[in-house]
Amino acid sequence: MSDVVSILRRFVFESPPGEWAIKQLRELLIGALKQGPVPQHVAFEMDGNRRYARSHRMETVEGHHRGFEALARIMEICYKAGVKTVTVYAFSIENFNRPKYEVEGLMQLAKVKLEQLTTYGDVLDRYGAAVRVMGQREMIRDDVLQVVDKAVARTRHNQKAILNICFPYTSRAEITTAIQSTVAEFLAPPPPKNTPFSQTRIRQNILSRQLNGHDPLPTIRDSSPEKQTQAGDGAYAAEVEESGDLDEGASSSTTLPPDSPPPRLRDGADQSHLPNPEDITVDTLDSHMYTSEDPPLDLFVRTSGVERLSDFMLWQCHQDTQIFFLDCLWPDFDLHHFIWVLLEWQWRMKQRDRDEAPGRRRHVKPRKLVE
Amino acid sequence: MPLNYTDTKAYRADEKVQHSQLTDRQKRHIMKNSLPAPVENRQPTSTLSAKPERRSRLGIRKFTLHQIHVLIFACMHGLFSLYIRIRQIINVVSYQLSSVLYYHHATPQYIQKDVSRLNKLPKHLSAILKSDNRRAAVDLDRLVDETAELATWCACAEIPQLSVYEKTGLLKKHMPRVYEAVTQKLAFYYGGDHPSLSVTSPHRDSYSSPSLDNSLGHLKLHLISEQDGRESVVDLTRTLAEMSQKGKLSPKDISMELIDNELSEGIMAEPDLLILFGPTVQLSSYPPWQIRLTEIFCLKDNETFGYQVFLKALRNYASAQMRRGK
Repeated sequence: MSDVVSILRRFVFESPPGEWAIKQLRELLIGALKQGPVPQHVAFEMDGNRRYARSHRMETVEGHHRGFEALARIMEICYKAGVKTVTVYAFSIENFNRPKYEVEGLMQLAKVKLEQLTTYGDVLDRYGAAVRVMGQREMIRDDVLQVVDKAVARTRHNQKAILNICFPYTSRAEITTAIQSTVAEFLAPPPPKNTPFSQTRIRQNILSRQLNGHDPLPTIRDSSPEKQTQAGDGAYAAEVEESGDLDEGASSSTTLPPDSPPPRLRDGADQSHLPNPEDITVDTLDSHMYTSEDPPLDLFVRTSGVERLSDFMLWQCHQDTQIFFLDCLWPDFDLHHFIWVLLEWQWRMKQRDRDEAPGRRRHVKPRKLVE
Repeated sequence: MPLNYTDTKAYRADEKVQHSQLTDRQKRHIMKNSLPAPVENRQPTSTLSAKPERRSRLGIRKFTLHQIHVLIFACMHGLFSLYIRIRQIINVVSYQLSSVLYYHHATPQYIQKDVSRLNKLPKHLSAILKSDNRRAAVDLDRLVDETAELATWCACAEIPQLSVYEKTGLLKKHMPRVYEAVTQKLAFYYGGDHPSLSVTSPHRDSYSSPSLDNSLGHLKLHLISEQDGRESVVDLTRTLAEMSQKGKLSPKDISMELIDNELSEGIMAEPDLLILFGPTVQLSSYPPWQIRLTEIFCLKDNETFGYQVFLKALRNYASAQMRRGK
């Protein structure tokens, strides 16, 4: 009985008219979905390639190849539906712990696919899609890295859609890198500016005004004790606060771990030119994340029924991103799974707009304007 | 690229031999079948006579297609709302039933019996409690009560650490009250002797019961809010930037371990299981650094706070497996 069904299925789905009809149906559904709000940034955690390979009795690497086909399918749907940015988790830093054979296979897969992108670059041009690779570049093998750079450069000019490939990536490493580069940025004095305004004159102006009764500096300090107590680490904040008042050399001996480099003391004049660390805000860190140029993450999809984020997009998805955990394996993932996710997402957006007062609708823009 | 069947077969065969089988032209041919039309470059045509007619036809076709799309969109969403309403009703009814079925009867022994069948329990449990900004006073009573219930269940299940996240920080402001409520609830469940309790919150003094060497165990209740999320990472960056400006640290010294150390000491450690008492998976600004490998549990369409959610989350956690990228 099942044989008959499968033959019938094959007859319907694999014959040219059947394929044509399905293609038309897909186009119609995607076109219809486009009529509502569409998420601007979608992240996929492509999980389940190996389980798929195991259940279909094929090699693990082949499972990853099927996963790539699914990715191409989903990219197509996203592109047609009007999603601007798609971020996929291709390879985690933790994945280096997998058997060497499999890691090799994955690297080879990435290399071959990206190589094809460069040779047939006009394919992505038609989609208007740019590829970007996010992650710890220094961990990529040299020959793969070359291909990566070539592919990125080849598609850079496209603006319509963006595919972010996270390779080798973990979100904690991303946040660490962001903190690191922010700190480095605040270590460098701002570029000299050519302005007709003299800084000393302004400072003198302010000082003279302060002496006339207004004393804004101490009042700011007094009014924000809460801020200081809530600093990332109370102990550190207190220590730094203290050391600001004390002599530089005296306090550095207490805070310095023994293995860190000798303190590079700066003279007072140099330090006053440095930007104020209190100016660091969420937006500063945001602009140092890999996704700084992308719209906020609207939708996060993880396949294969695992209900964890597994170090992916932690910074981006912990606010009001809608997270979906699906049961199907990634190579099986197709429009008939994704359409439910999109429909539910649209439905929730409608629901949220209805719940919120018209004036309090979420605006995506202000965050970008600050940068 | 939804290739048709023959093309897929050819593509897969080609892939097996490292893309050496098909010629360049064949590959292009395969791809061309599934590509969207090239982006048309609208150039002003000089042939004025042909233009109006063509444009109007195109317009009609586009217009009808658009109408069809709108119609299908409306139908889809109509059907989908119907589906989701039915799903919600079914789910809510079944949750109600299971809440009757699994009731703790305010007896620690019942909870212990429920939990004893599970092969693994989280060491650090976390939960997001919803708050309603508009009615803070009414909300506080509810939040404190829910925290107390949850803390007591954890104590009964012998989960040593519970972190309760509440976005606005209302709970954090009323720590003594939370402490009182939990102690009362514990006394109510256990009768005389009950597990000892300490309530903590980042950058605040802790409240703990006097006898820490209690035979019934100890529960650490940790209260966190939105400020302990992104804001704490920003604060850490500020501190690090200040230190590096003073020459006490170079940006290269900033490692994942350092940040992890600071954030888990200063804010909280990574929880094993996160329970959402809401209908959808949304993290509402929960600390991002700490949810890396946390198992997230959300009962679909569930709006209520209840023991059955807690129990289902624990069961789900016991059956989940960790692979850590392997």
